[in-house]
Amino acid sequence: MKTKIFQYLFIFTALAFVNPNSFAQETNLKNYKIRFGLSTTKQADNSRILEASYVAANKKDRKDRVPIYDANINFYNVFADEEVLLGTAKTDQEGIAQLIVPANQSYTTNEEGYINFKAVFDGTDGLDYEEAEVAVKDVFLELNLEDIDSVKTVILNAYTLDSLQTKIPLEETEIIFSVGGMLSKMPIKQDNISEGRFEFEFPEHISGDKNGNIDVFASIIDNDEYGNVIQKKNIAWGINKNIITESNQLWSDVAPIWMYVVLSILLIGVWANYAYSIKNLFNIKKEGKELELKSENEN
Amino acid sequence: MDIIKRKSELVNEFSPMLEKSTKTSKIWVSFLILVILIGLVAFIIQVVNGHIVTGMRDNVVWGIYIINFIFFVCLSYSGAFISGILHFFKSPWKNSVSRIVEIITVLSLIIGPIFILLCIGRLDRLYFLFLYPRIQSPITWDIIAIMTDLLGCFIYLYLTFIPDFAMLRDNSENAPKWRQKMYKILAIKYYDTPTQREALHKITRTMSVMVIALAIVAYSVLAWIFSLTVQPGWNSSIFAPYFIIAGLYSGVSVIIIAMYLIRKFYHLDHYIRKVHFMGAGVILLIISILFGYFTFSEYFSRWFSHKIEDTKLLDTLFNRYFWYFIFANYIGVLVPVFILFFKKFRTIKSITFAAVIAILGLYVNRYLIVVPTLETPYLPIQDTRPEYIHYTATWIEWALSFAGIAAFILFFILIMRLVPIIPMSGIIDYEREQKRKPHASNNH
Repeated sequence: MKTKIFQYLFIFTALAFVNPNSFAQETNLKNYKIRFGLSTTKQADNSRILEASYVAANKKDRKDRVPIYDANINFYNVFADEEVLLGTAKTDQEGIAQLIVPANQSYTTNEEGYINFKAVFDGTDGLDYEEAEVAVKDVFLELNLEDIDSVKTVILNAYTLDSLQTKIPLEETEIIFSVGGMLSKMPIKQDNISEGRFEFEFPEHISGDKNGNIDVFASIIDNDEYGNVIQKKNIAWGINKNIITESNQLWSDVAPIWMYVVLSILLIGVWANYAYSIKNLFNIKKEGKELELKSENEN
Repeated sequence: MDIIKRKSELVNEFSPMLEKSTKTSKIWVSFLILVILIGLVAFIIQVVNGHIVTGMRDNVVWGIYIINFIFFVCLSYSGAFISGILHFFKSPWKNSVSRIVEIITVLSLIIGPIFILLCIGRLDRLYFLFLYPRIQSPITWDIIAIMTDLLGCFIYLYLTFIPDFAMLRDNSENAPKWRQKMYKILAIKYYDTPTQREALHKITRTMSVMVIALAIVAYSVLAWIFSLTVQPGWNSSIFAPYFIIAGLYSGVSVIIIAMYLIRKFYHLDHYIRKVHFMGAGVILLIISILFGYFTFSEYFSRWFSHKIEDTKLLDTLFNRYFWYFIFANYIGVLVPVFILFFKKFRTIKSITFAAVIAILGLYVNRYLIVVPTLETPYLPIQDTRPEYIHYTATWIEWALSFAGIAAFILFFILIMRLVPIIPMSGIIDYEREQKRKPHASNNH
C-alpha cells in the first residue's frame, strides 16, 4: 500500500512540475533520470550534517527537476562490510533528507583515515533502490580571534588526526573566511592554507549587531578530501554598536520644525503682501474721500 | 479733459454689452439655470442617500468629482499664471484677453473646490480639517494653498476692476439705481488721480508677481496630493511640472474658446483680433508639444521600469481604457499639434477647434490619472462585486459635473453684465502711453 502511495505521489509530483511547453511529451518515468547524492558538513560544534539529495531530472530538459519527497533515507557509517546505521530521515519537498549526527558520535575510519558515509533508499515498487557514498577525513578547524598589538587578527589552525592522535597540518586547502549577515554570509577572505595555519588582519568597518557582535566563519567548501567543514566564533569586532532607528517624521504627531518654518515664511510673505495691498486700497479711498470733500467745499 | 471724454465714449461703447439681454441670451441663461437646478436635485439625493448613489466604492474612492476639481483648479492656476505674466510684462495683448483670463481664474477657483466637498463622505466633519490639521499632510497644504490663492486672486481681480468701476460710476447716469450704487461702492472713491493711479499700478504689479508664484506653489501642492503617495501611476517626480504644463494647456485652450465665443456673440472683432488667436495658437502649440513630451516621459518610464504594479496599471490602460488612452494621449495632443504646426491651417476656427480637442483630451487624461490607478490596487480583492472594483460615474455625478460647468458659464455671463469684458481702463492707459511715446507700436 505504502509503495503504491509513493508511486502515485511521484507521478502526481512529476505531472505537477512538468513544463507546460513540453506537455505533448511522454510524461513517464522513462523521461527522467534519478539523481541520488550524498554530502557531509562538519559544523562548528563538531556535529555533522549528512544530506542526501533525491531528485528526478528530465533527460531532455535540464530545468525540469522533480524532487522526490517523503522518501525514507538511511544513513550509515561503512567500514569494510560493516554498516553502522547512524539514523534515518525523510526527504522534504526539495527532495533533501538531512540527518544531524551529534558531536559525540564516534566513526570508524579506514586505514587512510577516511570516514565512509552511505545513504540508502531501499526502493519501492515504483522506484528503484538507490545508494550514494562519500568518504571524508575528519578535519579540525581551530579559529582564534585575537587582538595582537591592537590589530584584530584572525588565526586559523587546521589539521587532521592520525591513528595515534597526532596532528597533521592541512596543506594547500582552500579556506573561505566570512562574516554572518542577515540573509547570507559575506566573504572577507579566500586563500589556501599552508602548514596548517592561516592568519590575516580582520577588516575594519564590518557592521555587527546592536552590541557590535559579529559571527566569523572559516569554511572548507566542497573539498574532495574533507567535504564541507565550518568553524564559527562570535566576537564584538563589529561597528555600528548603536543602531539608530530613524522614525518617519511625517508620521509623528508634530511636523518637522523646518516644515513649520517654511510654511510660516511662505504664508507671512503672501499674507503680508495682501495686507499691504488692502492698506493701499484704503489709502486710495482716503484720498478719494478728501477729493470729494474738497470739491463739495468748492461747490 | 480729453481723457474724461474718452472714458465716456468707452462706457457708451461697452454699455450695450452690459445691458444687452436678447431672447437668445435669456433662453441660454434659463437653460444654464435648469442644469444647475438638476445638479441641485442630484446634490440633495446624494446628501440624503450618501455616496451609494455615486459610482465611487471601496476601491475607486475618487471619481469624476476629483477630476472636475483638478480640472477647474488647474484652470484657475493657469489663468492666474497667464494673467500675472500679461500684467507684469505689460503685454500688448493685455487689454484683449486679461479680463477673460481673470474671470476664468476666479470662477474656476470658486467652482473647483466645491467638487472636492462633494467627494467627502462626511461633510459634517469638514471642520475637523481646520480644527486638527496635520501640517505634514499634502491635503492640508492644498487647503491652505487654495484659500490663500482664492483670496489673492479675488484681490488681484478686484484691483484690475477698480478703474473700470470708477469709469462706470462716473458715466452711468442712465443705469438703474442699484447698479449706480454698486459701482459707487466698488469703485472705492477712485478718481484716477496720479497718486491713486500710481498706487493702484504698484500694488497690481506686485500682486501679479504674487499670483504667478502662488499659482506655481498651488499647482505643485495639487500634484503632490497624488505624487507623494506610493500608488502606481501617481508616485512620480515629474508630476508637479507635468501638472503645471497640463494646467497651462487647459488654461490656454479655455481662453481661446472664451475669446472665440465672446468675439462672436458680443461682436468684439475690433478688440479680439485674428492676431490674438494666432499668438494664442502658437502658445498652445508649444504647450501641447511640452504636454506630449511630459506624457510620453511619464508612461515610458513606467513601462520601462516594468514594476509589477505599473505593469498592471499599463495593462488596464491599454485594455479596459484603450480608446480613452488613445483619445487623451494621442488625439488630444497630436491633433492640436498638427493643426497648429502648419501656418496655413491656423485660422480662428481651426485654432478654436484645436483648443476644444485639447480640453476634451486633457479631461480624459485626468480621468486616466485618477480612475485606473484606483482600480488597480496593491492588494487584489477576491470574490468582490465588479462594481466595487470598477468605476462608472452615475447620473448624479454627471448632473453635478454639468451643473458645475453651467455655473461657471452663468457666472461668467453675469460678471460680463457687470463690467465690460475688455478693460476700458487698459485702453485709456494704452492711449495715454501712446501720447507719451507716439512712435510705439499699434499692436494692442
